[in-house]
Amino acid sequence: MDIQYIGEHLGPGQLGRFFVITSFVAALFSAFSYFRAAGTENRIGNASAAWLQMGRNGFVIHALTVMGIFVSLYYIITNHLFEYHYAWSHSDLSLSPKYLLSCFWEGQEGSFLLWSIWHCVLGLIVMFTAKGLESRVMTIIALVQVALATMLLGYYFGSDINIGSSPFILLREKMQNAPIFSQPNYLESVTDGNGLNILLQNYWMVIHPPVLFLGFSATLIPFAYTMAALWKGEYKSWIKPTWVWSLFAGGILGLGIMMGGAWAYESLTFGGYWAWDPVENASLVPWLTLVAGLHTLIIYKVTNRSFIATVILFTLTYGLIWYSTFLTRTGVLGDTSVHSFTGEGKSLYWHLLIVIFALLGIAIALMIKRWKGMPRVKTEEQVNSREFWMFIGAIILLLSAVQIIISTSIPVWAPLAKWITGKEIAPPVDPVSHYNSIQIWVAIVLALLSGFALYLKFVKSDNKKFWKRIALVSLIALGLSVLIAFTQKIETEQLKAPQYLVLLFASCFSVVAMIYYAISIQKAKLKKLGATTSHLGFALILLGVLLSSYNKNVISYNTLGVVIPFTDDKMENVRQSMENVILYKNVTMPMGEYNVTYIGDSTAPSDARTFYKVEYKKVDTATGEVKEEFVLKPNAFLNPKGESGMSANPDSKHYLGKDIFTYVTSVIDPSKREDTSLYKRHKVKIGDTIFVNRGYIIFSGFGAAEANSNYIAEKGDVAVTANLTLRDLEGNEEKLAPVYIIRDSHEEKIEDTLAARKLYVRLSRIIPDEKAAEFMIKQTGDDSDYIVMKAIVFPYINVLWLGIIVMVIGFFLSTWNRATKKEKVAKV
Amino acid sequence: MKKTHIVLLILVAAAVTVIVSTWADFSTYETFASAAENQGDQYHVIGELAKDKEMVYDPVKDANHFSFYVTDKNGRVNKVVFNGAKPTDIEKSEQIVMTGYMQGETFHCSKIQMKCPSKYEDDQIAVANQG
Repeated sequence: MDIQYIGEHLGPGQLGRFFVITSFVAALFSAFSYFRAAGTENRIGNASAAWLQMGRNGFVIHALTVMGIFVSLYYIITNHLFEYHYAWSHSDLSLSPKYLLSCFWEGQEGSFLLWSIWHCVLGLIVMFTAKGLESRVMTIIALVQVALATMLLGYYFGSDINIGSSPFILLREKMQNAPIFSQPNYLESVTDGNGLNILLQNYWMVIHPPVLFLGFSATLIPFAYTMAALWKGEYKSWIKPTWVWSLFAGGILGLGIMMGGAWAYESLTFGGYWAWDPVENASLVPWLTLVAGLHTLIIYKVTNRSFIATVILFTLTYGLIWYSTFLTRTGVLGDTSVHSFTGEGKSLYWHLLIVIFALLGIAIALMIKRWKGMPRVKTEEQVNSREFWMFIGAIILLLSAVQIIISTSIPVWAPLAKWITGKEIAPPVDPVSHYNSIQIWVAIVLALLSGFALYLKFVKSDNKKFWKRIALVSLIALGLSVLIAFTQKIETEQLKAPQYLVLLFASCFSVVAMIYYAISIQKAKLKKLGATTSHLGFALILLGVLLSSYNKNVISYNTLGVVIPFTDDKMENVRQSMENVILYKNVTMPMGEYNVTYIGDSTAPSDARTFYKVEYKKVDTATGEVKEEFVLKPNAFLNPKGESGMSANPDSKHYLGKDIFTYVTSVIDPSKREDTSLYKRHKVKIGDTIFVNRGYIIFSGFGAAEANSNYIAEKGDVAVTANLTLRDLEGNEEKLAPVYIIRDSHEEKIEDTLAARKLYVRLSRIIPDEKAAEFMIKQTGDDSDYIVMKAIVFPYINVLWLGIIVMVIGFFLSTWNRATKKEKVAKV
Repeated sequence: MKKTHIVLLILVAAAVTVIVSTWADFSTYETFASAAENQGDQYHVIGELAKDKEMVYDPVKDANHFSFYVTDKNGRVNKVVFNGAKPTDIEKSEQIVMTGYMQGETFHCSKIQMKCPSKYEDDQIAVANQG
């Protein structure tokens, strides 16, 4: 018997499902009509126009219904209709309105929807601008839209097989066996949703995914144009739109990727902007091949060479976009990624594989069909031509992409490797150094290539002029890199790792080359500066990466005055293991050039986070004058959603020349805070210090017990005192002399106290072999409150951010230049 | 042969060499027993948190020392020491992937990755206000 459920709002869901189906049918209709329009184009003019019109109408209806899906889902989320599984699992009542959009990209369905929306927007633009290629380009775009629409269909065959998953599925449909749904009034108990992943509750997560998805979507257009050109067998008219769209895609995708880096830097706690995480790699690799394709396209436009390479690269780019979805959404990466995507079942796995192979199948079929007639040039290019080196650059980009994707795909090919070798291959133990050690050479070659290739002309260059200019640029770059190497101490001990110095020179070379070229040869005409600007940005990114990571400095060491050599591998582990430091409330610790104090936490009623106020002070050691003072507020969600544990967000102090990056790794359980403090044990050697509230104690050695006036000597005593000096933040000094006595073979202790400071010190043990002593120290106050934190200094990270901005501006300058340029015969 | 082809060949050969030479970077998944055979070598070990055993993290003593017990795929329960702060939510994890090496009877790891039960599979609905 059917249960009549009470209080459900089924309207928006039914409307949404209607839109899903309509959008699927409309995309299919549009693709078919456009296909027919392309097929009848040359033979039956009238019919072709009619098919074209139907294709357009179909696509417009498709775009409208996709918007309809979005609006329905948005309505469900904003109105907190938790009878819908999507709203229940990705949002809750407390979610602030600015994060409502983030709910879309937390779930798989919402991500596909976002992707689909961007395709619609771009498709509509293409529809109006593609002219003679419209029918073919739009067939491809509409076909991809069909594939995306199937992702949202949500047809179930039994419990295991489904085609797509609907965002409008009801909670009770998703969890049919839960006993709660036997009650008609179950909704009265489902009062709140599961909420949005707290990592996504961050402003970067509001803007980064739409930009990244726009970048993903934009790579479709060069692919679609390339397919259209092959299909038509006409290889001239596609160049301009493909050029413009690949520039646009390169700019947006690059921006999206680095916004992801900025998000990681600002809100994740792995302490950096790039970790070679599979999810990051999966979006970087298509960007590399896209940029490679862009370069070969330019070669093709000017010299008629590299046509086949261009076709392959754009196909590969779009295939890789889907492959990256496959990697990140199907759970195939499993244990290797910090991004907590869940595996969404075998159905999606096969669904995505089918789409990838269908896309590749279309591309390969068209390539085979047109293989013979493809533009080729019989003659050889000159070694001193720009196209020769551009082509090499493109190949290097491709090889770099291949290396990254092979290592990233380990979980994909590991079963095969196991079958052959019998070993279960795991990702590298240290992925960062694995990728860095190879990609640093790629970076060096690319920086050098992009630096000098612009000074060469297409087809043939004047050697004398070229060498003169390059010599000048190299000289300036050498001077600049020597200056940076000395001021930034990039010396690479014993020249063990010369690649850092080479990279420094290469990126300086590229920076100088671009600036010189822009000023002296291009006469700084803004519209023409696209290529120089984006290459300048790329070189600045490399320089920024080098400066910020080479001298990245963890200042929160747990040891005082212990120097550990940097180069020894075994010690590296030890070093890393000491990066967390405990900070008692109001106890100052020196870190790097700062005195750091945890001064308390704070919460706001409207915010689920706890903010930990950490005060940084830079004091002139000679005068005691405070030169610099600031408070960082790293925060954390404590026990989010009733779960134990915490989720921390860092806070950084930004300077022009460096960032100080701080985050909390552990805090005291608030329920375990004690009112009265206990004695804490400190084992120290002579000359060491012990930190206490608002100051520190120096243990300068042992002395005669008589120093303590409370000590009354008896016969047979073995008594000793520790000479302690307390120095507080104001620079005042006070002496302490706790006594340790062996009397009649019993040990006794005489405590010394500084009543005003509520400080109690006991000498509990003497370790003569190590010239050390053990003290029990108690200080009442709030020192039972503590945080464990990590602090890292990133020098010159702003060079990196600047580089990204410059590079993206360069891409857009080129896009603008290309889009507005009147076609003319290629200048040779 | 064209110059481009020669350069292409050289580049591809270089790339293959590089990729093959970094093959050694790839680690393997082992059990505590097989990792113990090569003391000091770094491996990945997959297991489950042994919830009945003690977990020790006392930042007052050492903020960079967290020890716990893990049951590996073969059912061997082993002590694990992690040089760092206690990862949040480790109690809720259903699988742990550790990167590290065996030293004596203890597994020292420098990296922990946890798989937590996903919300999708978790049929628990926060039930509130029910009598």
